[in-house]
Amino acid sequence: MAITYRTHMSIIGDILSTTRDEIPDESGASVTYLIRKANVSYARLSKILETLVSQGLLEQTSSERACKYRISERGREFLQAYRGFREFADSFGLRI
Amino acid sequence: MEFITFAESALNLLGFVVGLILGIFAYIGFRNTGSPTLFRLNISFFSISIGFGVVGFGYMLESFVLGYVKIDTWIQTLGIGIQTVGYFFIAFSHGIKSFFPKSRYFKSIVAPLFIIPANSIEHIIRSISFILLVYGTIETIMSYMENRNRNTIFVAAGLGLLALGEFLGWYSIVFPKSVLYFVSVSTKIVGLGALFVPISQVPLRGGPRFGNNI
Repeated sequence: MAITYRTHMSIIGDILSTTRDEIPDESGASVTYLIRKANVSYARLSKILETLVSQGLLEQTSSERACKYRISERGREFLQAYRGFREFADSFGLRI
Repeated sequence: MEFITFAESALNLLGFVVGLILGIFAYIGFRNTGSPTLFRLNISFFSISIGFGVVGFGYMLESFVLGYVKIDTWIQTLGIGIQTVGYFFIAFSHGIKSFFPKSRYFKSIVAPLFIIPANSIEHIIRSISFILLVYGTIETIMSYMENRNRNTIFVAAGLGLLALGEFLGWYSIVFPKSVLYFVSVSTKIVGLGALFVPISQVPLRGGPRFGNNI
């Protein structure tokens, strides 16, 4: 079976989905949790998180030990749009 | 203006509108997500739309405004050429890996498409469009085998009908004065219509803009 690589956009989709649907507690998801759930390296995840926070898609919350991330309202809207257009691209046999 | 010319113009203008709506939809997707795939689909559908528009408006202009009895063939060639750019971007999005398989049987089908119409630019362009569309159809069917997404079947059927339409248009070289061209454009319009099905599944909301910053 051929290996299928995720696009940059689908990794962002996975991170946002994790922070929306699978956060362990109200304060958000930790970097370690996101690395495990979204299956990306620490270096790559750090860059993406920085971008998502600067774009207002994720909210950074500080807890006792480390930074945690939670999806923002803007992030929810983006995720909804992303899922809709992913479905559209899927219909063409393509990935966004 | 002959009825058949009028009907062909109307069908081409319909293709212009359908392609334009698909292009706008892909553009909204690109604007909202910054996805390069949606950008390529956007270019593709705008090219297809402009191609249909050039033929449709060109026919109308020459018949109504300039009063020509015989329509210039360069309009048709230009329109088909622009459409081919659109078909190329659909095929390109799938990634052109092995365009010509080693199978001798396949080559025997493909080669005549280039050799027979060598005296006409329009027919060379049509044969290229046909190959690109067949490639896109095959890739889409293969994607359906993987994801079993019902919409993918409509897209595959749409691309297949566009390919059939191009083939019939190219084949009209054999029967130049027949209704074959009319049937060809009608088939292509139905094909474009089938590409509409996935759009009905996506809620069209304004949403935030992110562009290429993501």
